[in-house]
Amino acid sequence: MSSKIALFFRESWLLMVSSLFFGGLLAITNAAWSPKVAENEIKKFNRLAGGLLTGATQFESVKDISMNLGKGKTAAVDIRKGLDASGNCLGWAFVCEGSGFVDTIKLVVTTDAGFTKMYGFGVLQCSETPGFGDKLNIKDGFYQSQFKGVPTEPFKLVKGGDPKALDSNIVAITGATVTSRAVVNALNEYMQQIKPQLVKQGLITQ
Amino acid sequence: MAENQTTVWKAFRGGLWDEIPVLRLMLGLCPTLAVTTGVKSGLTMGLCVVFVLICSNAVVSLMRNLLKPHLRIMMFTLTIAAFVTIADLYLKAFQPEMSEKLGAYIPLIIVNCIIICRAEACAAKNGVLVSVVDGLAMGLGFTLVLCFLASIREVLATGCITFSETFVITVLNPVDKGGWFTPWGAMLMPVGAFVTLGLTLGAVNQLTKKKA
Repeated sequence: MSSKIALFFRESWLLMVSSLFFGGLLAITNAAWSPKVAENEIKKFNRLAGGLLTGATQFESVKDISMNLGKGKTAAVDIRKGLDASGNCLGWAFVCEGSGFVDTIKLVVTTDAGFTKMYGFGVLQCSETPGFGDKLNIKDGFYQSQFKGVPTEPFKLVKGGDPKALDSNIVAITGATVTSRAVVNALNEYMQQIKPQLVKQGLITQ
Repeated sequence: MAENQTTVWKAFRGGLWDEIPVLRLMLGLCPTLAVTTGVKSGLTMGLCVVFVLICSNAVVSLMRNLLKPHLRIMMFTLTIAAFVTIADLYLKAFQPEMSEKLGAYIPLIIVNCIIICRAEACAAKNGVLVSVVDGLAMGLGFTLVLCFLASIREVLATGCITFSETFVITVLNPVDKGGWFTPWGAMLMPVGAFVTLGLTLGAVNQLTKKKA
């Protein structure tokens, strides 16, 4: 038995020592740079949300809002109240995620104070196909513009129609149906689940 | 490990021409096709690979006499993964835009064949100096190829090379800026990557063709 243990350590000591060394190196690096990474994420969120919620000077986090991901899994939603200089609520901003064609798409979605109308969305993360799916990332492009000022009722993806009409029909990006559908589905899912929780906390009225 | 000593100069020249990755070794083709949509992306990816190659070659070279043959691939992967994670964290902290643009391709450097190939073919058989020079030269060779392909694709797709909002080099004056050049959107698509790489490979093969 002891000879087997000795053999195990003789064969694997370098691997164990290296794992400890690299693990420590990564822990130190992460500890040093993670505040900067978090700061970058907050800056980007504020820039995107601030651009859509005109006049908002600060964002106040709301706790205990979560998404049911199915199969008993839940995830916390990063939802913030956009406040003006006097502390009045101008609207809501939250991070919304959906599975795109290439990778996860992360959006910053903004709504009015009553959660009845969308102000639009900005893209936090998008690795969709250049020239097709990444058109979603064009600020004030035809796809993003379709969500500005529309009611927060469930959206429906259509392949043809007038993209300038302010209704729940969202015209898909040509050649990027999967990406377009991912955004619509994610928005519908988040809107449906977040609104009742905000009502329950007394932050908005039904 | 078997000793297969090489000289510093041979390692340097090898990485930049004789064994230049992508064009001669045909390694690292996946990131080459994926990130050459812009010079800035290509340059960032190339510099990350330079960092990982130098560090992983140095570490593998230092531990080469301790490596057990059946554990060496695991040790290489562990070493490479650590340095790739550091490069990824650095980009997230100090170059967030490039980190987002390159997405999964930075973590995927872990499975880039160039790095594991150099660890096995050079670092595991040579001293630290030669291994570091090999890593530097291979990384620079890879970076040069990425920048070359990216510049062709970006110029044909947009007419200019964009480094930032304020630093744009206009090569072919595009129609949307009042010029004459109609951008070829297809150069940003996979087809543009395959055509550019194929033509470049053909040209290099023609240049290096040995007479019978």
